[in-house]
Amino acid sequence: MNMKGMTKFVEPVRIIAVVLIALAIGFVITALVSKEPVQAYTALLTGPLPRLSFENGFEIKNINRFGNWLEESTTLILLGLAVSIVFRARQFSLGAEGQMLLGALMTAVIALKLSLPFPAHMLLALAAAMIIGFLWGLIPGLLKAYLSVDEIVSTLMLNVIALQLFDLLLFNWLRDPAAGFVGTVPFPTSAVLPLLIPGTRVSFMTILMLIAVVVVWFLMARTPFGFELKMLGANRKFAEYGGINTKRVIALSMAVSGILAGLAGAHLSMGLLKRLTINLSPGLGFEGIVVALLARNDPRWVLLAGLFYGYLRTGAQIMERSSDVTREVVLIIQAIIILLITAERLFPFVQQWVQLRRSREEVVVEAG
Amino acid sequence: MAALVEMKQITKVYPNGVVANKGVDFSVEQGEIHALVGENGAGKSTLMKILYGLEAPTHGEIWLRGRRVEIPNPHRAIELGIGMVHQNFMLVPSFTIAENIVLGSEPRKGRFIDRAQAIAVTEELSKTYGLQVDPTARIEATPVGMRQRVEILKTLYRGADLLILDEPTAVLTPQETDELFMAIRTLVNQGKTVIFITHKLVEVKEISDRVTVMRHGEVTGRVATRDVTEADIARMMVGRAVFLQIDKPPVQRGRVVAEVRNLGYVAETGRPVLRNVNFSVHAGEILGVAGVEGNGQTELVEVMTGLRPATTGEILVDGKPVQRQSPRRIRLSGVAHIPEDRLTNGVALDATIAENLVVDRYNRPPFTQRGVLSPQVIRKHAETLMQQFDIRAAGPDALMRSLSGGNMQKVIVAREFSAEPVLLIAAQPTRGVDIGATEFVHTQLVTKRNEGKAVLLVSADLAEVMSLADRIAVMYKGEIVAILDNGPELTEEEIGLYMLGVRRQEVVTKAA
Ligand SMILES: Nc1ncnc2c1ncn2[C@@H]1O[C@H](COP(=O)(O)OP(=O)(O)OP(=O)(O)O)[C@@H](O)[C@H]1O
Ligand SMILES: [Mg+2]
Repeated sequence: MNMKGMTKFVEPVRIIAVVLIALAIGFVITALVSKEPVQAYTALLTGPLPRLSFENGFEIKNINRFGNWLEESTTLILLGLAVSIVFRARQFSLGAEGQMLLGALMTAVIALKLSLPFPAHMLLALAAAMIIGFLWGLIPGLLKAYLSVDEIVSTLMLNVIALQLFDLLLFNWLRDPAAGFVGTVPFPTSAVLPLLIPGTRVSFMTILMLIAVVVVWFLMARTPFGFELKMLGANRKFAEYGGINTKRVIALSMAVSGILAGLAGAHLSMGLLKRLTINLSPGLGFEGIVVALLARNDPRWVLLAGLFYGYLRTGAQIMERSSDVTREVVLIIQAIIILLITAERLFPFVQQWVQLRRSREEVVVEAG
Repeated sequence: MAALVEMKQITKVYPNGVVANKGVDFSVEQGEIHALVGENGAGKSTLMKILYGLEAPTHGEIWLRGRRVEIPNPHRAIELGIGMVHQNFMLVPSFTIAENIVLGSEPRKGRFIDRAQAIAVTEELSKTYGLQVDPTARIEATPVGMRQRVEILKTLYRGADLLILDEPTAVLTPQETDELFMAIRTLVNQGKTVIFITHKLVEVKEISDRVTVMRHGEVTGRVATRDVTEADIARMMVGRAVFLQIDKPPVQRGRVVAEVRNLGYVAETGRPVLRNVNFSVHAGEILGVAGVEGNGQTELVEVMTGLRPATTGEILVDGKPVQRQSPRRIRLSGVAHIPEDRLTNGVALDATIAENLVVDRYNRPPFTQRGVLSPQVIRKHAETLMQQFDIRAAGPDALMRSLSGGNMQKVIVAREFSAEPVLLIAAQPTRGVDIGATEFVHTQLVTKRNEGKAVLLVSADLAEVMSLADRIAVMYKGEIVAILDNGPELTEEEIGLYMLGVRRQEVVTKAA
């Protein structure tokens, strides 16, 4: 009997079921608020897909919407990876937001205050974003490891500080006074991420993101550090007893997580906006939590969860633009998904029920 | 006489495919003390969880007082007068004893819990059944023995007539066990019925009226206790003759492997827990540490293994000081440790067996090579150890959580023994372990000793210490009050005098 195959199989089925239920509830809500719910919901569900058109010969339409999806997902996946690292170690760091902001800020500093030839300039800016993310994650990590400062509190505080730093430098140093809004001049092309798909803003970062997925998977599944993360998350006392330096692992988990959040910030500035603006993308840092939860902290699933969640968010924007439904609906769907997936109590129950039925059948089979 | 409980043809298949019970028939009569015994993983806890409504049987029927009943959840079990005290306690640490006892059906005053009433109820119950507890103490600050009594009182408070005690004595000192037995007799005299799971055959003989023996999920014997000997029961459990007494060649003491000098430890609360502890463990000997639990043994072990920092003094392993070093450094100096509290320190329940088996060595070849961890090697390693140590589980990838208590202990023993230590510190190594596995652990400890390793054996089970140790150090109030040569002339009574602080050797504190 293939039991292991079964349990491997149940988890994805479970998550897909959750998503479908959430989408169904979403449709009911759409139907309540919209005059043309089917059309609106179709926009949500199919909006981000490009359309093939044969009217004037072969043509791909709406490539920009497709691009939006990939762009959004790239950021979300990077943030999801960041969060899944800390969650794997059972550290509830909420610092991705601040690390992302500072990552973007550092790219602007490098992009605007240094002049270098192309790959060097871009790479230096990326490195700067990763380093600041690392450091900004290391702070709450050290505080937690050595002074037992609660990481939820410290990371939220550091987010506030990061935001203030961001505004301070932007207003007083980096801002382009000639612009009609609070923002910098566009980055020089030497510090912009090369474009991957013309007609969109899908850039080299999407490739970096794929590499990051592999690297984080490798880190978690194939390195001693990954083992330490998992043991720390499973039972800290046990990890200590086994000889793992848990303080070091706690601090590092948050710092390494920061690298990825920093990269996400670099994506916003160097890939999407190609400059720095105020209100870069408030709250985006927290969306990484949704992705990590959906993916159960497994980097391979983070990729899928990020694509899914990015799709949903892009579809929502399209629905908002092309129908009478507001974006709030998608926020509701999103909230429902989080609720359903985190409802640990509800779902193991369903899982057990499925398995109980299976084992009943088995005994019958054995007996008969 | 009609049986109080009859479980008929019970089969239980866990979701992971383990068949824990296979067509089990089990019956208990009104007013008896019924012992349920069997190897680790035989399915005892599972059968009782089914009776208590915690697990649904895949097949089978439960009859209570001649009527067929369904017990879908513990709530229903409680309604039917069935109460259970689990192998692993389920109390709320930050609540007081009285609060824990009434939790779930609290006496109320308006919208609030009536604290005074809760305390009164607790005192009343405590007096009726002779189970002493301090109603206002918090659970986290009470010793295990009292927690046990709290669990029992809790079930009595909910009106249980049938009490299921799953390995209640595993965590108790001999004195506490005696008290528990007295309480059980009181309960039975007052018309209660008790099902009692244990691995200690002495206890079966002492307290039970009848015994049911389980093996590999099936019932292999059902006898009246007075008709059988301990050896008979052992044979029914294991399927072969078991050596309850261990053979040991005479001790060949080698060099000093570990030396503890003037060791002191002051707890965070400022209480001195270890005072001026001196002893040494030689290659080729087992040094037993006896003492009533709570006299510093736990702290001694934790200080020696780096889980707590020594306040004063020195610990030398092979001549090198290791006090106040990290657990990893201490392990690298050749110390292995079977911890007393296996659920807290010894295992990660949500990790796999394979992962649990490498927690001290994952970062070394062959598990990690050039910085890359090899899951295959880790799995292979687990397969080998599982076979060598007879760990029964679905496979190396099974979660630790799904193992029976004794098999968890075997995982720990397998890991620590295979670490090839020069000093093995074993704290309560056979607690909750079946006789087959106990025999195994004992043989292994003696083998390590014969191989010339140093073994420090800390156990609350005096019989265990006396049958294994070459010398016995007795702890009392954080001090070692005697180090005695173990031999036929040493009696339990004599050790008892030291354990209770009535007597002490003067030489010990100076040097050993
Ligand atoms: N929740 C579970 N899921 C899967 N398998 C389980 C679960 N609980 C127990 N088992 C398996 O069922 C078998 C019987 O376990 P059970 O706990 O009933 O044994 P036991 O006789 O109480 O052993 P012990 O003396 O060690 O406590 C074991 O092989 C165990 O691994
Ligand atoms: Mg059990």
